[in-house]
Amino acid sequence: MLSQRRSLSFYLLAAFFGLFVLFLYGPMLVIFILSLQGPDGALTFPVRSFGFHWIIALFGQQRVGDFVGSFQRSFLLGVVVMLVSVVVGLMAGMAFRQRFVGSRVIFYLTISSLIVPSILVSLGIGIAFSLLGWSTNWYTSGLAAHLTWTLPFAFLIMVGVFNRFDRSYEEAARDLGASEISTFGEIVLPLIGPSLIGVALFGFTLSYDEFIRTSLVSGGRNTLPLEIFGMTTNVTTPALYALGTVTTVFSFLVITIAFVAYQIVSQRQK
Amino acid sequence: MTKITRRKLIQTGLAAGAFVATTRCAQNPAPLGTPNNPAQGPEVNTNQIADVTLRMIGTGVSQINEIKQKAEEDLGFKLELRALSTEENNQIAITQPDQYDIFDGEYFSLPLVVPSGNLQPVDISRITDFDKIVPIFTTGSLYDGAPVNTSQGTSPIRVMYVQGEDSSEFATEATGWATLIPFQYNADTLGYRPDLVGRTIESWAELFNDEFRGKTSILDIPSIGIIDAAMVAEAMGLMEFADKGNMTREELDQITSILIERKRAGQFRAFWKTFDESVNFMSSGEVVLQSMWSPAVTAVKSQGIECVYAPLKEGYRGWGGGIGLSRNLSGIQRDAAYEYINWMLDGWVGAFLGRQGYYSAAPENARKFMSEAEWAFWYEGKAASEDMVDPFGKTLEKAGAVRDGGSFEERMGKVVVWNSVMEEQVYLVQKWNEFIAA
Amino acid sequence: MIKSWKAIAPYVLIAPQTLIFLLFLIFPIATIVVVSFWEFTGYSMTPAFTFDNYIGIFTSQVTLGTYLSTFRFVGLVWLFTLLIGFPVSYFLAFCIEDVRLQIILFLVCTVPFWTSNIIRMISWIPFLGREGILNNLLINIGVTDTPIDIFLFSDFAVVLAMVHLYTLFMIVPIFNSLMRIERSLIAAAEDAGASGLQVLKEVIVPLAFPGIAIGSIFVVTLTMGEFVTIRLMSGGQSASIGYLIRNQIGSLQYPLAAANAVILLMVTLVLIFAIMRLVDIRKEL
Repeated sequence: MLSQRRSLSFYLLAAFFGLFVLFLYGPMLVIFILSLQGPDGALTFPVRSFGFHWIIALFGQQRVGDFVGSFQRSFLLGVVVMLVSVVVGLMAGMAFRQRFVGSRVIFYLTISSLIVPSILVSLGIGIAFSLLGWSTNWYTSGLAAHLTWTLPFAFLIMVGVFNRFDRSYEEAARDLGASEISTFGEIVLPLIGPSLIGVALFGFTLSYDEFIRTSLVSGGRNTLPLEIFGMTTNVTTPALYALGTVTTVFSFLVITIAFVAYQIVSQRQK
Repeated sequence: MTKITRRKLIQTGLAAGAFVATTRCAQNPAPLGTPNNPAQGPEVNTNQIADVTLRMIGTGVSQINEIKQKAEEDLGFKLELRALSTEENNQIAITQPDQYDIFDGEYFSLPLVVPSGNLQPVDISRITDFDKIVPIFTTGSLYDGAPVNTSQGTSPIRVMYVQGEDSSEFATEATGWATLIPFQYNADTLGYRPDLVGRTIESWAELFNDEFRGKTSILDIPSIGIIDAAMVAEAMGLMEFADKGNMTREELDQITSILIERKRAGQFRAFWKTFDESVNFMSSGEVVLQSMWSPAVTAVKSQGIECVYAPLKEGYRGWGGGIGLSRNLSGIQRDAAYEYINWMLDGWVGAFLGRQGYYSAAPENARKFMSEAEWAFWYEGKAASEDMVDPFGKTLEKAGAVRDGGSFEERMGKVVVWNSVMEEQVYLVQKWNEFIAA
Repeated sequence: MIKSWKAIAPYVLIAPQTLIFLLFLIFPIATIVVVSFWEFTGYSMTPAFTFDNYIGIFTSQVTLGTYLSTFRFVGLVWLFTLLIGFPVSYFLAFCIEDVRLQIILFLVCTVPFWTSNIIRMISWIPFLGREGILNNLLINIGVTDTPIDIFLFSDFAVVLAMVHLYTLFMIVPIFNSLMRIERSLIAAAEDAGASGLQVLKEVIVPLAFPGIAIGSIFVVTLTMGEFVTIRLMSGGQSASIGYLIRNQIGSLQYPLAAANAVILLMVTLVLIFAIMRLVDIRKEL
């Protein structure tokens, strides 16, 4: 009786899950199909001919915009944000292993960085820079805006990791006379290595995809998401979808690389 | 906890305010044109023009990579283009003067941009072909009795000249100093899909016709959209304006309530902000009748879809774009910028953009780069003697077709109002937001 | 020496992060607050201390309408992400016993998250348009003769796209909470004769509550300041407070935009702290 009811709910839930996956991937499939059109392709159905015309066109000269340049900027920015997030997040996570005066305030300060509506961050940094007479740039104000978004995630992940961290290894090392630094380098760091890769991956992708916080502070040159948004209003060809397909493929590559790295690091620990 | 942060926030805020206020004051420059402003000595030509890179901002209309390539080839220095929406373009021109060297903007934005002091007036004596520029810009009259001579709104002539080299005040008559050197311009009107509309559109009033409920669009740029709305309201006999380009608060209230009423009745399918959006609306069939810009119509046509740029009996809404120089340009950089302006007037660009339906500031120069057939079709309103091809190689019109609205004189002559900045600009934006939010 | 290092270590370690937030979060927000009292013309702003911007906002009918519209989007998106997110997380956590499969299915859910949001958003346009796939399908199977307009450039399209973008932010925290529930608790409840529904109501939902709360915080903040989805999916026809602020920035009315931003911040913080009262985030990490 019990198992029967369970199996019914199982199938219902499985069907629901299937529909959800369809909902997630369906529209992306549309983009994918529409990006593989011939030169006479348009932004909407029907597809007139198939080909790689628009994908190839993406890497050549375009009528307006600069896809390759904006991709390079986004990639570079993503890497810098990733490194800063990992280092600063790790330090902050270490700090929160002890109680200290003001930790509550800093904890909530970090949370608020996450929950302040993004447009406020963008507007605020934009106005602050312009009033100080500094010019906005993707690598200055843009970087700052990205950090307000990635650091809270890095921090929360690190606090979570250290909450579950087993201190006995560390204590054992210290009992054996290891210095503070070598305990950290040889015990703590390898143990939290996989989580650091997680933080890095998170930092990179959050930055690589960030739109609203960057929108008012990128200065003279666009990051990739801004360029894509510009293209939604400036481009009337499937080049836009081709860009979608290519960036998606790129994201998959990054995830795969990170996933493999994670596997290797955690395997080594065993 | 929250108390502490709030107090801290207020303290930081006050400190920031004080700091900001002082820097503001310190930055506030002495009135321009005072003796403190050093006279410009002779410029040393160091033969480094090839090292110059000029950063240009403008709308997608002319920020085209083909133009950039040709310019770099002909001039020997580098250009960096940045395509923006009309609003962003003005915003950057006003708030971020260090982000650009050349401003490719519209005349109607000048009442906002020029007082910011971010543009330096263009020395007309350095513009070789200034005398070949169409008189709409230089004297304000096209030919005797043309409606455009008495048009409403921010017509280019009202903002063409400033009083002197360091002035940021407009001059009422010709001086040696220009705000922008005109580049391209056009007469805007409604565009429609004849296959889906099924008849000829002859009046602005059709935009609010129930027949097209849910299939029309208007542009979501307050300074331009409001004028299209005014053209419609006037054509329908709902309102009369003293000056559509400079409405009173009462007029703005009234036109907004008409717009809101139409929006609630479901007249509009969507609003657009850049001309390519209007192309997508039209070619996907979402919209069948909307206010449109000329290259949008040609872009729809180049996809093999019929689209008419309707000559309407009430006349056109005109706009003009031009090139201005950033305040921070000097020396060899400025020389390069002048070379660019002269190159731009020389005709190649004029012909390039002409094949999309724009008019060139110096048409006679553009003609040198166009075939006889192209000139006859685009400027003289004659039937195409061969297929008309756009700058990107796509056929727009088969032989025998005639340009919508006819010749240059017929089209530009019938401009009755220009894109505008009104005295009640702040109120306009507020009312427009009400319309969008309704 | 060691001892004194230990005492100052947390402060040294936390300094970079605190500094970044002070410079790039607190200082900019303070600037917004200051600027919101300034005066402006069509092209510039001048330091002043005027309440005009706030008075203008509180006396305008647009403000209320815009906030109501924003709240409606927030409410609908929250409801749908929860209604979808909970069963999906439940399925992943309780119905899949093979850990490997569990990880793979979880990744399947998260992968679209790594694609540009804007691309995911616009991918709906060819799907929902008047000549889009959905309408063609409906016409072909005879459900309707004329294309249905409401699919695209409507509030429906906005909510659909936002649910599509943000459901993941609900799934991850709920899944996380569900995975922590001791399986023995459920077994015990079942042994005590509780029906499946009772187990769900009395055991699982209460224990998943922190996850739901955290997911709600994410969804609410993401939706509150939204303007891109609303702009693209409603064709510029729907209002939200984020879009209003963006429009004011576009028209160079920075002080007015700043005043609106300050109010938006207050409203968001009130909402979030209301949710936070129900859950201790630090415990849930």
